[in-house]
Formats: sequence, structure tokens, C-alpha cells
Amino acid sequence: MSAQPMHIHPYERNWMVFSAVMLVLFATAVSVAAFGMGIQVPAPEQRVDPRIVATDPNSPWSNPGLREVSPGKYDAYILAHAIPVWEYLPKEITVPAGSSVSFYVTSSDVQHGFKIQDTNANFMVIPGQVSKLTIKFNKPGTYNYICTEYCGSGHGIMYGAIIVTP
Amino acid sequence: MAKKEHENNDEFRPNGTIAILVVFVITTLLIWGTIYMILISRGSTI
Amino acid sequence: MKQYQLSTGEKKFIGSHLLVAILALSVGSLFGPLQAFEHAGWDIYPYIKPLIKSYYQGLTVHGVLNALVWTTFFIMGFLTFNVMFGLKRPLKNPTLNKVGFWLMVVGVVAAAIPILANQATVLFTFYPPLKANWAFYLGLTLVVVGSWVEGWGLFMTYFAWRKENPKELTPFIAFASLVTALLWQICTIGVATEILTMLLPWSLGLIAGVDPQLARTYFWFTGHPLVYFWILPAYISWYAMLPKQAGNGKMFSDSLARLSFWIFLVLSTPLGFHHQYVDPGIPPVWKFIHSMLTFSVFFPSMMTAFTVIASLEHAGRKNGGKGTFAWIGKLNWSDPSVAAQLLAGILFFFGGIGGLANASYNVNLVLHNTAFIPGHFHLTVATAVTLSFMGISYWLLPYLTGKKLWMPKLAVAQAWIWFVGMIIFSNAMHVLGLLGAPRRVPLGLAPYVPPEWNSRLFQVGVGGAILFVSGACYLTVMLMTALSKETVKEEVEVPVAESMQDLALTPVWLDRWAPWIYGALALIVLVYGPVLFDLIKNIALTSPGFRVW
Repeated sequence: MSAQPMHIHPYERNWMVFSAVMLVLFATAVSVAAFGMGIQVPAPEQRVDPRIVATDPNSPWSNPGLREVSPGKYDAYILAHAIPVWEYLPKEITVPAGSSVSFYVTSSDVQHGFKIQDTNANFMVIPGQVSKLTIKFNKPGTYNYICTEYCGSGHGIMYGAIIVTP
Repeated sequence: MAKKEHENNDEFRPNGTIAILVVFVITTLLIWGTIYMILISRGSTI
Repeated sequence: MKQYQLSTGEKKFIGSHLLVAILALSVGSLFGPLQAFEHAGWDIYPYIKPLIKSYYQGLTVHGVLNALVWTTFFIMGFLTFNVMFGLKRPLKNPTLNKVGFWLMVVGVVAAAIPILANQATVLFTFYPPLKANWAFYLGLTLVVVGSWVEGWGLFMTYFAWRKENPKELTPFIAFASLVTALLWQICTIGVATEILTMLLPWSLGLIAGVDPQLARTYFWFTGHPLVYFWILPAYISWYAMLPKQAGNGKMFSDSLARLSFWIFLVLSTPLGFHHQYVDPGIPPVWKFIHSMLTFSVFFPSMMTAFTVIASLEHAGRKNGGKGTFAWIGKLNWSDPSVAAQLLAGILFFFGGIGGLANASYNVNLVLHNTAFIPGHFHLTVATAVTLSFMGISYWLLPYLTGKKLWMPKLAVAQAWIWFVGMIIFSNAMHVLGLLGAPRRVPLGLAPYVPPEWNSRLFQVGVGGAILFVSGACYLTVMLMTALSKETVKEEVEVPVAESMQDLALTPVWLDRWAPWIYGALALIVLVYGPVLFDLIKNIALTSPGFRVW
């Protein structure tokens, strides 16, 4: 063993510097997307009691669905559950093109996922927690939302749809 | 020469290694960039 | 020069790890193709219903046996071998290691019973409030505790060696194995806490509910370093054994190899939130910090790539290899151990790229829980790790048993078949994920599958079939070698590459443990502490259990 500083081959030193630069580049790119373009991951929104979230009349998920907050802006309260059957409530949402929809999703039983195809909405649905992201739908069409976390034998049939009308 | 090599690795110039790693880096940039562009094209979430 | 020899009893002990590992792999691998076939529309599950009730029971068997049992047993056996062979001394307290091993075996049996009885169809992530039978959680606990005890046995052996050799540099394979064992001790605190404070008392009826968000956070505390626990033993072989096998090459840089292991120890735990980017209960600022730490832990893997390839280039040039790339062909591709590990390494490049994308904070929104993820980890744990371990066993089994490897040519073919099958399977899975296909879904039956996924789903099935053939070849070679009467003439040589640098030049601070351990613990407290404190302070045990399979 030596008390001298570590010897590094010049090729390897260059490679290490280059690796660091490349990683900084990736970090910068994700930061620009996150803080410059508002492409963010979910933040703690609200905590709920999963045992009563679907039945308590004061809970928005006792009456899940779409609420118009202002013209073109909506809140969608969506309940994911495996009992009695694997489904989202509501199963279908219709909004006009150009709408901005905030999704508030929770579960009354096990963990689920929520991914709206062809959008950046993709998050975990965890009992006791509320997941929220906001998506703007510019193009008319049907966007399925599908369950992306194993939630029992019906996991593969669990889905719903957003219909964006012209 | 042989004796010196044992003391240090400076005499060995791994040019092939650098070439392989360059290919790796280009592939990384292409694949990562493609997925990043999908993310960007789908827009804001807040 | 005669190599250090393990005693017959020691060889048997390592061999029993290998035996359990391969048994687990042979059962677990039966179910992999069933998932793949289902995707392609050839669902076999209805026909095996008396035995295995569902796709998900099969998937649980596949995940638990392959990702947890095969890896853990192989790794503990390999690390134990490396410590003894590297330090050239027997275990300080062999009984302790045996106790650890048997705890692990009892744990596997305890967990296997409810899985086979369809009482624990919770997949290998066992996210609550899916509630398995208590024996499943108890079994997992015993496996973890057993691996701790084996680790303690290794550390005691190191202390004894250090006492006898106060001034000597720890030989690399022993050093790297001890770091890996230590990493495992630190990171498994998460899953141990999850099971002991929530899941086990809950499954026994002692508490009424659990907090699923907190449970996930404990789980991923262990879950990401787990992948380093898997890959580091492969790195040990790639760094210090493969160059020797590939053509008597030397290890390019002893110092940087050690430094990269230290960085893995420090950085591989405090970044678990990169599996929880899209969890609702964790503040984005902490997710972002973990993503930056994840980028940092990519750095030692880049160093590993350089050192390993440069060492291999040294071997290739020694074998007469010329040109920029032509030396690759001069490596000992006819040695199945070399072929398997080189092919594993090639696919690991792509595993690394996919991992980088997964770990890139918001980029995860495109990929999270899509088929991209199993596509990714079949390149890492199921190829970089598994195919390397298969390669290692091609010399380790003959070494342990004194039997000649049965049909080495079949073993070489096995590695290539795995490589081809995995390229087809994994590529299709990655593409499906980018198209939006979710993971953990019997996609052959899912109602929302658009027609453009079909060709890829077919490729998943084809890849699975090819991988099945490769797995069968591997088991045949192992079995026939073990049963063979043909013994090796001389002792099988343990391949350990010399260092290209004089070891006297390795800095003394790379053989000091305390600063790195304190650093690792401090960083964990710093980047996990605040979030865990908050989650625990606001704990809500409001989720009763569900059995929805």
C-alpha cells in the first residue's frame, strides 16, 4: 500500500471526466424539462382514510367524476378499486379538445396504477394518498387510462377512457 | 519493458476500449434522447 | 505456483449454496416462458390449473425464485468462496456461516409453502395491502437474517485475517466481496423494518392495518441496493477473473476498481426514491435529490466499463489480437465461462442505458410500470447477473466437485442461445413499454391492447421460448457434470487476474473501512431521514389486508 496519491491512467482520467460531463448533461436536460417546461412528478396532495373514502358523503370520491372549475378547466375525481370488481369510477370521461384536466386519484383497497396512454400522466395510486397531475388534451380522440400496478387477478382488465371531443 | 509494465499501466494504450466506449456513448445519447423527446412532446403535468 | 486450496468440507459448503440456487432457478425458470407465451396468445395456464392457479401465481414463483432465491444463494456462496480463497484462510467460525445458510434454507421453504398454496400471490414486491399468509413474510425474514449471519461470518474471517496481516493490502476479490456483503447488511434494514414492524404483525392479526406508502418507502430502501447486491458479484468476476480466463489478461487498475466498490457502498442506498418518482406521498424535491444521486452512482459503473474492457483488451492483445476491434475475436470465446460473461456484459450496456432512462426523474413518466421495466431488468438481473453466474458456475462446479464440465460446447451454445433469446424478448418488451403496454398484465387477455402491439407480443413469446431452451441446456450441463464420473486430472485453477499496476501503488485510504462506512450511513440519514421521519410521524395504519387473487 502506498501513501502516494492514486495513479490514474491518462485514458481513464479522460473517460472519467467525460462520464461526469455526460451525466451533468442528462441532469441538466431533466431539470429543464421539470422546472422550465413544468413536466413534474406527483407531489403530496392530500391524505385520506381508504376505509371510508368511497362512502363518506364529504369525500369527493363518494361521487367520483368530472367537475368543471372554470371554462376549459376540470377536476376529475377518480376512484380505483379491486372490490367488488377491478375498475375505475367513473369508467369514462368526456371533455372538449383544449381542456385542462387535473386528475385526483385514490384507491379504496389495494395499490393501483394510473396511466393515460399517449400522455405524461402515469402515477401510482396508493390507498391513503391522493395522486394528482394535470394534463391538457389538445387532440380529439380516445385516451385509455389503464392500471399499471398489480392489484389482484383482474389487474389486466382494469381500464377506463377519456373521450376528447373536437 | 515487461518489468515496467508491472509497476504501472501507462505503457498500455487501450485504444480499442475507447472505441467501444464511444460507440456506447453514442447509443446512450440516441436511446435516452429518443425517450426524452417523447416526454417533451407530451407536455406539462402541472 | 500452487494455488490455495479449499478443504473438501468448505467446497461442500459452497456447493450447497450452488445447489439451492440452481434448484430455485430450474423451478423459477419454468414459469418465465409461461408469461411470455401468454403474451403471444399461447396461454398454457388453463392447462396447469390443478397445480398453479393463475398467471399471477406463476409470476410470483418466477420472481421470487429467480430474482430473490437464485441470486441470494449463488451470491452468498460466491462471496464466501472469494473471501476464503482471497484471504487464503478458512472461515473464522464455520458454524456461524452454516447457521446462516440453514436459516436461509428454512426461510425459502417457509415462503415457498404459501406461494405454492396460492396463499401468497403478491409478486416479488409484495406491496401491501395485498396480504399474504404470515409464513411468506416470516420466510423472507429468515432468508434476510440468514444472509446477515453469513455476512457476519465473513466479517469475522476478515478481522482474523487482518490481525494476522496488519500491513497487507486486502486481496481484491476478498475486498470486493466484503464490500458487497456490507452493502447488503446496510440496505436490508429497510425491508427488515417493513416486515417486522408492519407486515408480519399485520399478517398475524396483531395490528389491524398498514401504511402502504410507508411500506413502499421501506421496501425501496432495500430494493435499489438489492440490484447492486446482484450485480457486484458479477463485477467482481468481470474485474478480477474474466480477464484471466479470456486470455491471461491483467486487471487494468486495481485502485480504481476498489474506488468504484467504495462508491457503490456509499451511493447505492440513498437513492431509492428513483423507484418512487410517481408515488404521491413523497415530496418532489427529495425525488429530485435522489435522481441526482442516481446519476452519481452511474459514474462507478462507467469506471467499471472502462477498467473491465481495458483488462479484456489486454487479454485480447496478449492473444495476438490487433486492430481497434479485432482483438475481441481473440478472446477465449470457446471457453463457456468466458463466452457467457462476455455476452452478459454486452447486453449490460443496454441494461445500463435503460436504467439511466428509468432513473432520469420525469423521464420516468414515460416508462413507469410499463413493459419497458421488465424488459430492462431482464437485461440486468436476468442477463448481466444470471448469465454471468451461469458462466462462473462453468468453472466453479468443476472446481468444487472435481468433475469435468460436461459438453463444454453445449455450454458455449447455451450462452449464445440466451443472448439471442434475450435480445428478441427484451427488445420487444422495451418497445411495448414505449408504446404504453403496462407490466404485470396478461396482455394476451387485456381488453385494451391495440393491434400494433401484436407483432411485439409475438416476439415476446418467441424470445421466451428461446430462453427456455437455453435454461434447459444450462440445467442439463450442470446436472450431467454433477453426475459425471469423469474427473478432472489436475485441480481446476481458480482464475484470478493479476494487477497491471504494482499493488504497492494502491493508496492506503482504499483499504480503510471506517470513513466509507460513516460516509454511507451519513448520506442515508441525510437524504432518507427527513422523509422517513415525516412518514413515520404521520403514520396511518388504515389499510386492512386484501386477498384479491
